[in-house]
Amino acid sequence: MQIPNAETPSKPLLQLRGIAKAFAGVQALKGVDFDLRAGEVHALMGENGAGKSTLMKILFGVQPPDSGTIELDGVGEVAIDDPRHALALGIGLVSQEPSLVPQLDVAQNIFLGQTEALGVVPRSQFQARAREILKPLAPRLPVTARVGSLGMAERQVVEIARTLARGGKIIGFDEPTSSLTPAERDGLFALIRQLKSSGKGIIYISHRIPEVYAISDRVTVLRDGRVVASRATQEVSADELINMIAGRRLAEELQHSAKPVVRAGGTEALRLEGISAAGKLHDINLTLRTGEIFGLAGLVGSGRTELARCIFGADRKDAGSVYVNGKPLDLRQPADAKAAGIALIPEDRRKQALVPNMDVERNFGLANFQQYSPSGFLRLKQRRQDIERYIEEMAIRPRRAGVRIRNLSGGNQQKVVIARWLQSGARIFLFDEPTRGIDVGAKFEIHELMRRLAKDGCALLVISSELPEILALCDRVGVMRGGRLVQTIDDCSDLTEDLLMKYASGEVTRS
Amino acid sequence: MTNDRVSQVAADAQASAAPREKKVSLGWIRSASVVAGVALLFIVFSVLTSSFYAPSNLLDILLQSSINAMIAVGMTLVVMARGIDLSVGSVVGLTSMITASLLPQNFLLGIVAGIVLGVLCGLINGILIAKLKLPDFIVTLGMLSIYRGAALIFTDGKPIYGIDATFRAIFAGDVGGIPTPVILALAIALLAFLVVRYTAFGEQIIAVGGNEEAARLAGINIDRVKICVYAISGLLATFAGFVLIGRIGAAEPIGGAGFELQAIGAAVIGGASLFGGEGNPLGALVGALTLGAMQNGLTLLNVPSFWQLVATGVVVIVAVFADQVTRKRR
Ligand SMILES: Nc1ncnc2c1ncn2[C@@H]1O[C@H](COP(=O)(O)OP(=O)(O)OP(=O)(O)O)[C@@H](O)[C@H]1O
Ligand SMILES: [Mg+2]
Repeated sequence: MQIPNAETPSKPLLQLRGIAKAFAGVQALKGVDFDLRAGEVHALMGENGAGKSTLMKILFGVQPPDSGTIELDGVGEVAIDDPRHALALGIGLVSQEPSLVPQLDVAQNIFLGQTEALGVVPRSQFQARAREILKPLAPRLPVTARVGSLGMAERQVVEIARTLARGGKIIGFDEPTSSLTPAERDGLFALIRQLKSSGKGIIYISHRIPEVYAISDRVTVLRDGRVVASRATQEVSADELINMIAGRRLAEELQHSAKPVVRAGGTEALRLEGISAAGKLHDINLTLRTGEIFGLAGLVGSGRTELARCIFGADRKDAGSVYVNGKPLDLRQPADAKAAGIALIPEDRRKQALVPNMDVERNFGLANFQQYSPSGFLRLKQRRQDIERYIEEMAIRPRRAGVRIRNLSGGNQQKVVIARWLQSGARIFLFDEPTRGIDVGAKFEIHELMRRLAKDGCALLVISSELPEILALCDRVGVMRGGRLVQTIDDCSDLTEDLLMKYASGEVTRS
Repeated sequence: MTNDRVSQVAADAQASAAPREKKVSLGWIRSASVVAGVALLFIVFSVLTSSFYAPSNLLDILLQSSINAMIAVGMTLVVMARGIDLSVGSVVGLTSMITASLLPQNFLLGIVAGIVLGVLCGLINGILIAKLKLPDFIVTLGMLSIYRGAALIFTDGKPIYGIDATFRAIFAGDVGGIPTPVILALAIALLAFLVVRYTAFGEQIIAVGGNEEAARLAGINIDRVKICVYAISGLLATFAGFVLIGRIGAAEPIGGAGFELQAIGAAVIGGASLFGGEGNPLGALVGALTLGAMQNGLTLLNVPSFWQLVATGVVVIVAVFADQVTRKRR
């Protein structure tokens, strides 16, 4: 394959100069220059809150910049005032938070707003087109499924397909793989390479360093709304890249935090016997011991989230029993699980864990009313003290307990959710994609936190689609496929990503 | 560039679901505009009529608004939990009929029965909505009809005259020149405000309204929260009914008809968001006063009551529109 040399001075498709943007109280971008050439993939990296999505939103006309210019090849300087305008200029964006209509089906979402391009084309015909677009990404996703019934990964795939269906010369991908498993990611990469060779310009945002090496020609790093560096990807080492993103200190820590020593599992904390849920889970048996981190790998739709939700009482199970500390418990709703010392840190923070308009302190208190208001009245002082302690210990930024949680970066929001459950006194933690969309620095901190929990004798179940995360964190690993636990690996010493993938896809069935 | 992209608008409304952010907080603009609106109302009416500003008339406005204020406080709690209660007017009618009919036999029984019935009406609403997962709009619309029908069936559509004097003194008398309904409304709003601010229940209401799934996954009993707010709404509608029959001196089965719109209007003007998770019981007081002042002023200007209905409807729709515009955009 021909990779255009980053140094070739071909005329840029797109040139952003001096883009600045402030939100109430935050200067999100402080004069950013960015350019994109035809036939290249330009990666954009940086910590949570560095301003990556803001830059994309400005390019896509969602938000106007305060100052700065946008210049397009063949068009000249433009003021893009809304997404419709951006689309007409050939700019597409796969946004970080899929904005789909849950009531419509997959095909309808993909072609939403483009009906004039299809005229009165019969339904079956545009469903066929939708299927074609989805093929490399998720061949088995039914185009007639209602989007509201889909999981995060599937929604992400639909969002990608929608942008691709609209065409365009410049396409931005804002963390497109945050919910995807390796198989889908590979499909996406193949697609991106195709777009690239047909001369389009791609902007690729991700927190995952290996992905950036795999797909990009150039990489630009933002920190605090400024460009730290812009280099040809092949010329930067991973260490340098981490340095640029998170600062020197962290790079060293990251290097020295090798895989943890295998902990000898303690006593039984959680035992599942024959858990089944119609069509989703089949006869799951699993034991989780104190002091261990148990990873759950599998493809999208393999039932991992479903299992966690069943254990937590968020969804109904049809059969099977859950034992906590050896005692059988009837967990019908999350409140019961909480009372039994179980915590669920769900995959979709925004929809499932946070009340966006409430401040940090109140979000922290959501699972802790028993503690803070035994009489009905809140012990506000006590609660304030506790959250402030967590803010210090976990380095939550900003340091104020009174900010609305929706203004925090993903990593900081996640820390607040974890703090909530730590305070609840939970001993069994179900983490569903704990570092989805979280930057390298915060991810490291969250991993450290999880290890500390295990050391303190908690039992952790960790679902992750990022296999390196599973390998780095877990003492034991289970693999799910089609709603079954098909494999349990007790000794992870020579487990590899490859092998895990093979188990997950069913290529290998016995170790 | 094409201009035949009308259909794309729908898509882009979606794409810009995380839309432009205003630099000044919209909430602040909102509060300011409510205050400005009320001030304008007072100025206009004071200029146009000689009697609007008279202390006795101002007191009258307070008195007239107090019934709506009580219901609006309950409505605010319901709306904060992302619900709606259209049955309040009918609950007013039903409970006041029951109380009026029992008062002559046993004073206490009359009051207690009314209260129990009011709470029960709310519980039924809440249980149907929370447990059977029926849409709040439909359930309370159905109940609006059912409770009203029950009130009419109860006395075959006839009013009950002659409300007990002590009852009238309690619910429609005055203490040191201040009408008891005003005191009652104020106390209720203040209490509700304290509940929202300083109790677990208050925070749970906001959490359920702000993000029901997150509240559930945090182990909050969301069904209980919902059922409770509807029960409170029923209770407060009952109190409003007591004031109503106390003031009139008679109970009609059609008493309270149309109160739901007034209450929703007051709640929204007062800052409750129909998108849930936000609202202020004290704001409901301001909202009720706004509507009360407007109706009073229009009466003084000899505007026929039919037109007052139109005006009220317009104000409520404008308030809801303002809510849409200011809340949805973020
Ligand atoms: N609508 C908004 N209102 C207020 N502040 C905002 C808004 N959108 C973004 N910000 C702030 O602007 C800064 C940049 O946010 P942005 O979403 O661009 O970061 P990002 O680099 O995409 O982060 P992430 O990796 O978490 O996606 C952050 O401090 C964020 O809190
Ligand atoms: Mg972002």
